Amino acid sequence: MRRLGELEAEIMDRLWSWGRPATVREVVDDINRDRPVAYTTVMTVADILYGKGLLRREKQGRAWLYEPTGSREAYTAALMQEALGASQDRSAALAHFIREISADEAEVIRRLLDEHPAGGDRP
Amino acid sequence: MTGTAGLVGYLLLVGLVAPALLRRASWPQRAPGSAVLVWLGLMLSFVTALGLVAHHLVEPERHLHTGLLGFLHACGLVHVGGLGLSAASAAVLPPAAVLGWPLGWYGAVLLRARRARLEHLAGLELVARPAGAEAVATVAVGRVRAVVVEHGVPAVYCLPGRRRRIVLTRGALDVLSPEQLRAVLAHEHAHLTGRHHLVRAAVEAFARAFPGLPLGAAARVETAALLEMAADDRAVRRHSARALAGALGAVAAGLAPGVGLAAAGSPVVARVRRLLLPARGPHRLVRVAVAAAAAVAPLVPFLFACGPTGA
Repeated sequence: MRRLGELEAEIMDRLWSWGRPATVREVVDDINRDRPVAYTTVMTVADILYGKGLLRREKQGRAWLYEPTGSREAYTAALMQEALGASQDRSAALAHFIREISADEAEVIRRLLDEHPAGGDRP
Repeated sequence: MTGTAGLVGYLLLVGLVAPALLRRASWPQRAPGSAVLVWLGLMLSFVTALGLVAHHLVEPERHLHTGLLGFLHACGLVHVGGLGLSAASAAVLPPAAVLGWPLGWYGAVLLRARRARLEHLAGLELVARPAGAEAVATVAVGRVRAVVVEHGVPAVYCLPGRRRRIVLTRGALDVLSPEQLRAVLAHEHAHLTGRHHLVRAAVEAFARAFPGLPLGAAARVETAALLEMAADDRAVRRHSARALAGALGAVAAGLAPGVGLAAAGSPVVARVRRLLLPARGPHRLVRVAVAAAAAVAPLVPFLFACGPTGA
């Protein structure tokens, strides 16, 4: 059985790409072109995504129409902002190549690299 | 009580003087791994000494020279003699609390980090793609999964743990040459295989358990920088130091200036400098001696408790 997170990603991916509200049935049919998935499973996961605030929904007839609350880009930007942010919990959780730098320091580094064009590597 | 006075002096030495000296020393940058061990040794030694002080305060009259039992006794682990149960627990509690306090923090910090990581992983799952097209990435890091996030700001980081992975932004892939990318991935891989997150969590726990203590504040800043340097050193064993330095420059230039600007300054400049102008590290024997000293440091407080001036 696939992990729930993967199905969440599949649902979000479709709704983000379509750029319009869609029913669970439409999502199920589209996923079914690659692999079989149960309607109730997708319904449950869509409800989870709604609960997480990633989707909003609106009743249309007997079915819910789902739509992402924000764009994929906005979601990614927020996620990266959080990863690059200064929370201490986060710093113990993630190991950054470079966590933070000032414009002055970036300039010093640029000069160092210019001054030592062949520095560092043994001949 | 001379033992207690000695221990208090030792606490001041380890908690205040040693961190100031170690911060100013230049050798840690040449042997970052050994220096991390020394910081850890100092912190453990501080906790041991504090535990012994607590023990002496509740039981100043007891003699501690009884070999191994006395040793364990001094830790508050074993009780010698016929103390009643309530008296025994009264004597054990303070030192146990002193040792348990930072340990509890360690657990809390690890748990919080884990929760933050899982939360972030769940978010990544929605937007990250396997670094498939960048085959170079997957080859270089072996069995660690590398994923790419479509985001313009260059960033590279890794998530340790069971579902460990390295995350690259599109911005990072855009500014890094293939050679630089391989060096960066080796750097992140070194963090993962070195279990650096456990060290960071231990230091964080100590700093939070003893807020305001210079040792904790200094260790937090210094070990973070030293672990980066250790990962740099690991990466340049198999990759070009020039490429790694160039990668630092490229990512630094792409970060929005002042993003999460650190008051203390970032260690990136020092990292670039030591990559471009490598200094010889200390001899292996010196490194072994330093590691041994760091390992023994937590036992030093027992000299005050059990030594000739003790008790």
